[in-house]
Amino acid sequence: MSAENGPAMITLQSNDNHVIDVERSVAERSLLIKNMMEDLGEGALGQIVPIPNVTEPVLRKVIEWCEHHRNDPPSTNEDESDNRKKTTDIDEWDQKFMQVDQEMLFEIILASNYLDIKPLLDVGCKTVANMIKGKSPEEIRKTFNITNDFTPEEEEQIRRENEWAEDR
Amino acid sequence: MATYKRSPQPSTLPKTSILSTLRATSMVESKAALPAEIIVSILDYLPVSDLMRFARTSSRMREMVYDDTRWVARLKSMGLWSDLEAKKRFEDAMKRKRDAAARTAANGDSVLGGNKEGSTTIFDAAIEEERRMAEAIQTTRQPGATIDGFETLSLNPIQPESPVQDPTALLNILKTVRSVRGHARQEFSKVYGALAPFYFDLAQAKTHTEPVVFKVFRDPERQAQMLSNLQVFSKCDWADGCSQRVGKLSSMVAIFEGAVLREFEQGYEFWDVDGRMRRYAHVLHSLNGGSASTDLFIQKHPIFNDREALGNPIDCINQAPPDDITLEPSRAFFELLMRKLNEQSANMSRIFPQPAAVFWSFVDKVREDIIMEYATPLLDVTHDRHTAVYLKAVSGLFEQCMQFVYSLESPNGSNLSNEDHAKAICLKVFEPHMDLYLQEELETFTSHAEREVSNWEQKLSEQDATVESFYMGSFNRQADKNDFLSSFKKVVMMPVSVLPSAFGSNKPTPTATITNPTFRSSIVGTPAASRPQTPGLGNNLERSGSPLPPEAPTDELKAKAALMANRLEGIKSLFSIEVALDLVHAAKESLGRAAKFVRLGGQVGEEAREQCEAIFVALVKVLGQTHVKNGFGKAVDHLSRYNPREISDHSQTAVAPLVMFIELVNVGDIISQMIEVFYEQQLAAPKIADKNDFMDPAGLAKKKFEQMLDENVAAGLNKGIDVLMDEVEYLCATTQLSTDYNPPPSSQGNGLSNGADIGPTVTAKRITELVSSHTRMLIGSTEKTMLDVFNGEVGLRLFTAICKHLKRQRISTDGAINLIADMTVYFEYIRTLKNQDLLVYFKALRELSQIYLIDARHAKEMATIIADNDRFGGVFRAEEVYEYAERRADWYQVKRDVERAMYGLECQIM
Repeated sequence: MSAENGPAMITLQSNDNHVIDVERSVAERSLLIKNMMEDLGEGALGQIVPIPNVTEPVLRKVIEWCEHHRNDPPSTNEDESDNRKKTTDIDEWDQKFMQVDQEMLFEIILASNYLDIKPLLDVGCKTVANMIKGKSPEEIRKTFNITNDFTPEEEEQIRRENEWAEDR
Repeated sequence: MATYKRSPQPSTLPKTSILSTLRATSMVESKAALPAEIIVSILDYLPVSDLMRFARTSSRMREMVYDDTRWVARLKSMGLWSDLEAKKRFEDAMKRKRDAAARTAANGDSVLGGNKEGSTTIFDAAIEEERRMAEAIQTTRQPGATIDGFETLSLNPIQPESPVQDPTALLNILKTVRSVRGHARQEFSKVYGALAPFYFDLAQAKTHTEPVVFKVFRDPERQAQMLSNLQVFSKCDWADGCSQRVGKLSSMVAIFEGAVLREFEQGYEFWDVDGRMRRYAHVLHSLNGGSASTDLFIQKHPIFNDREALGNPIDCINQAPPDDITLEPSRAFFELLMRKLNEQSANMSRIFPQPAAVFWSFVDKVREDIIMEYATPLLDVTHDRHTAVYLKAVSGLFEQCMQFVYSLESPNGSNLSNEDHAKAICLKVFEPHMDLYLQEELETFTSHAEREVSNWEQKLSEQDATVESFYMGSFNRQADKNDFLSSFKKVVMMPVSVLPSAFGSNKPTPTATITNPTFRSSIVGTPAASRPQTPGLGNNLERSGSPLPPEAPTDELKAKAALMANRLEGIKSLFSIEVALDLVHAAKESLGRAAKFVRLGGQVGEEAREQCEAIFVALVKVLGQTHVKNGFGKAVDHLSRYNPREISDHSQTAVAPLVMFIELVNVGDIISQMIEVFYEQQLAAPKIADKNDFMDPAGLAKKKFEQMLDENVAAGLNKGIDVLMDEVEYLCATTQLSTDYNPPPSSQGNGLSNGADIGPTVTAKRITELVSSHTRMLIGSTEKTMLDVFNGEVGLRLFTAICKHLKRQRISTDGAINLIADMTVYFEYIRTLKNQDLLVYFKALRELSQIYLIDARHAKEMATIIADNDRFGGVFRAEEVYEYAERRADWYQVKRDVERAMYGLECQIM
């Protein structure tokens, strides 16, 4: 977050023109930045990297996560999707980290999607999944801003169709 | 994809929670919209029930939830989805669709065919398939017909009946799942509907009596089946908190398993085979494959407790004479074990649902605890005591172990044959011993062979003095020799005629090999008996003679070798066929033992095979390099030292060292043939050595041996010719009387014997006899080309010798008759050699001898003959013939006339 002497730094610029210095190793949790650095080489170090889709607060939040997870083993690319699904539990720090309002949550998810930070995206998705759990369709619609295009009969039919899945 | 509206929702819905109101408020300002792919990955983390509620929010969401791949993934995680089956079904559907399309097109059905014509896309096929199914199942209700047709059709309500009502259907629910594209959700719903209630109920249960599973199903068989189903089902649960649920399930299963296992154990203690044991073994099998019961059964089996009763390995040593081993106790051990195991095999097939697997793991345990315990100490002890015993023990036990496994009666159902098991088991038993064993085998054999050869050499050097005299002095056995060689030759030729049949048809030869030896021994019997026994050989004859009858020749090699030994022990002064035989036997034994391991295959088999080859190579090396080569060396040495003048007795028609040498050649040839047969039978036939592989060490060694033999034979023969010619010249010099060709003219009547018998002189007879006896001996004992060269050389040298001899004689017209007779004898002899080049020389010689016959009065004719080059086939030039003519007794009387006639000069002499 704050510039320090020593390790190589990368300067990121959010879409509202805030400039943030990040350690290279932290920034490279983002595969987007990592690949870019690999493509551009050392010359890119001194330059400002624009992150056009992300606002400053979100970017800071994302960097905070990256700082904390800087020493994680690199995610195995495109591993068996089943294995990923198996680890549904969110660790404590991440749970706390994700205690933000829904808008921020969604922004983080979008940013991590854009920056290609898979573990963060996963944590975000899990958090959202946990939000949905146990909610009625109406509540879900509200949460996700979904317009209901079903007639009540249609909705009822889907319910009946999937009665087998209901909690007993 | 995510184009759902972000328009503010009316936040007026009555909500009790302040928080939710707050959240709703925040929603109003929300600008964040999640793209579809993120929603999809969020859905991945949702439990099934929430998924279905999510589906109810909007048609787009429903599409996402209903997406087939999502459900296929779940089915796959349970191992219930088969891509192959799905593909097949899909292709069948396609085919049906095409058929249907063709039919509708043919019928001209415009209504339905209208929108289907020409459309062969997959999507259409899927519709068709679903429509078909929908029609098949029931009449579809059409409430949502306002949406597009596809959606409506996928709404087949497939509702399983309440699971509690039909418990048995639940047990087999997993088996009913089909892999149909586009219907994964329906298939999954069947499973979920059946198992999820039990699953979640179990996950919440606090004690092991609580879960509904145990209430619905009372008997342990069904409980086990259901638990096993639930374990499969748990694999598709990856929603939040799944690890606790799965943990709970497996602890529940463990408790259940423990209980069942206790029951099984109690049954085991009472040996209640058909009752409790059988029942609970089946229960455990349906629970998780039943490995627990198998382990318990094997662990607690009484056979492992009274292993002393099966036999003590040291018996094999104690019951045998010192430094030997008897494998009888071990055989009894294996037999007893085999009977016990076969008993158990029957029990197992009564107890276990998959008896074969249980049986083989039982056998494996037996192998580890009993057989290994038996074999290892025995082998260790024998190894410490005596190597030969050790070697015997290893191969013997191996054979017995193989036999043992072969004779086990395994319950049906194993996918491996007994042989594979036998191999695997024997491999495990003997693997620790293999390296040591193979090494010992080779070392023992090599040292044995070397010892044998050096022993023999030592003995020989001790007898050197007597042997010397034996070479030189005791050659009065011409007749025996001929007998000997003829019978010998028969034996040598024999394998050539026998071998092809023996190798063509592998095993039916025993009768032939049995009759052959007896037949041959009857032939050989006479010479062997009539042969005067040379000093120092008598006891050998006894020794080698006696073992022949009792040991019925087991294979061709042995039979032949035994006969050979009997016949050949006369020539043991240079190298001994007996030693060779002994070595071959030792090699055969070692090979036989080591070769058993070859069939194990794999690395050990390969090692064993290599070791077999190494044994063969060692055999050939010891036999060839040290034994045969030394013998040849000595023989050649003897030959070169031979000087006919030093020997007083020239009454025989044989040169002793040469005969000796030629015999050696024969023996060498026999040994070579023995090796060949040995190679064929012991190495090539059981595929230990590859005959076609020219880099094969055994083949290379054999070739090297043969080459060595040939070289030595060639070198020896070269020397032999020299010796032979020395002898010839010696004979010429000593036996030819000056009167032979120049009878005194005074004895015009019948005064001397030579006047009476007109025929070849003694010298000529002796010489031809001498030479022919040697050349004949070689026939069949060495290579044909070498023989030809030898004969050619002998003939040529003989020719030179005769020419030289002739020039030393003085020949009268009367003596010419004798000379012609002599020349004819030589010619006749040479003709038997069937060498055209040689024949020319001797023909010329015969012609030449005629010049002596011409009466002095016909000097002119004589001159013509001398000058006639054609007459002598180009062998003699006129000058040479002239030289010969000078040997005429009356040369000085005719010389003038001849010269005048030849050169056309009028000589002015006188």
